[in-house]
Amino acid sequence: MSAPKELRDAIERDLRPTRPLRSPWVRALVLAPLAVAIVLSVPGLRFFRSDMSAIGFLRAWGFSFGQAFAGLVIVAAALRESIPGRGLSRGAIAATVALGLAIPVALLGVTASAFDIGPAPGQALEEGIGCFRVSAISAIPALIAAAFLAARAFPMRPGLAGALYGLGCGLIADAGLRLFCEYTVPSHVLFGHGGAILAAMVFGAVVAKIIPRR
Amino acid sequence: MGSQAKDEAGRNTLDPVEAELCSHMQGYLDGRIEAFDALYAAFAGRLRGYLLSLCRDATLADDLLQETFMQIHRSRRTYQPGRPVTPWVYAIARNVYLMKRRSAGRRVRFEEALAADSRASDGSRDALGTIAESDAVRRALREVPPDQRQALLMHHVQGWSFIEIAARLGIRVNAAKTRAFRGMKKMREHLK
Repeated sequence: MSAPKELRDAIERDLRPTRPLRSPWVRALVLAPLAVAIVLSVPGLRFFRSDMSAIGFLRAWGFSFGQAFAGLVIVAAALRESIPGRGLSRGAIAATVALGLAIPVALLGVTASAFDIGPAPGQALEEGIGCFRVSAISAIPALIAAAFLAARAFPMRPGLAGALYGLGCGLIADAGLRLFCEYTVPSHVLFGHGGAILAAMVFGAVVAKIIPRR
Repeated sequence: MGSQAKDEAGRNTLDPVEAELCSHMQGYLDGRIEAFDALYAAFAGRLRGYLLSLCRDATLADDLLQETFMQIHRSRRTYQPGRPVTPWVYAIARNVYLMKRRSAGRRVRFEEALAADSRASDGSRDALGTIAESDAVRRALREVPPDQRQALLMHHVQGWSFIEIAARLGIRVNAAKTRAFRGMKKMREHLK
């Protein structure tokens, strides 16, 4: 069976040597410097949590960079999802999302000395919004870069790919936020930190649906 | 290990048919039209059957087959050398079908809206005739630049595929899509 002439001509007109995209893991590493910059800039541009020395180097810096690395792994999974024929299975998607949401909770669990440290009375909403805003805004540069990388492939389920890289970028931003915010009360953590990660997921899904696939 | 050696190692783990498809795909990435011919020969029959099972319309399946190969061409850099070609090709075909289904849904809704608009002015005329004659639509169409209007009418009224439009007008498929899309956008703005 040979190709119709007009199709073959159209292909031939546009045919030139093409370099294939690098593997999703290698492409996700492009975001590594950005992830480091985000982790450092969130507390660096404001202030570090007051109990930095009490929690120790590993639980502060080690866990934050560990969380940022997990975010990059999730971005890599999203980039893999964006390649035709390499979509993630339902189990893998569920595991990735569950892992992404569990990591900040687990790190909070091993870092916090008590779960009753919160904003001063009457400032809960303001502080919650503050953390939400810092985290969500910090995630945007990584999210735009990830969206660009994913759109260079041809995602079959752009909304899903976007939600996944949104989750990854949300985790990266939260990794910086945990060096800045020492509150442990569940209401603040769920809204200001978890809410920002979920918002990054939703924003990623929306961005992925909007930007054209190449 | 160099990337070429890795590709070679990947190919060695595949079955012979898939390994041959891999080497055709590599040739296609290198810019050889004969490699495209070989891929077309290997996949066209199977893909047509697959698309036919999805859409249950022989003409549409042929149209989707052409569009699938155009999309394969546009997305060829997403193929990872050394990996099986077949799942990659089928995933693209399925996505082309889904995109067509979505755009067909949008087109039906657009035509229904136009038909409803024209029924309000004269319910006795049939939908296509009314679309052509509707004053509002004609006025809006006049505001659309000629090249965009032509692509818009060929696709949305006469039902030509973008590949056919591109071949007829001597432009690229993407250009045909862009013209029709921009024309439709301008027409919508004028109809508001």
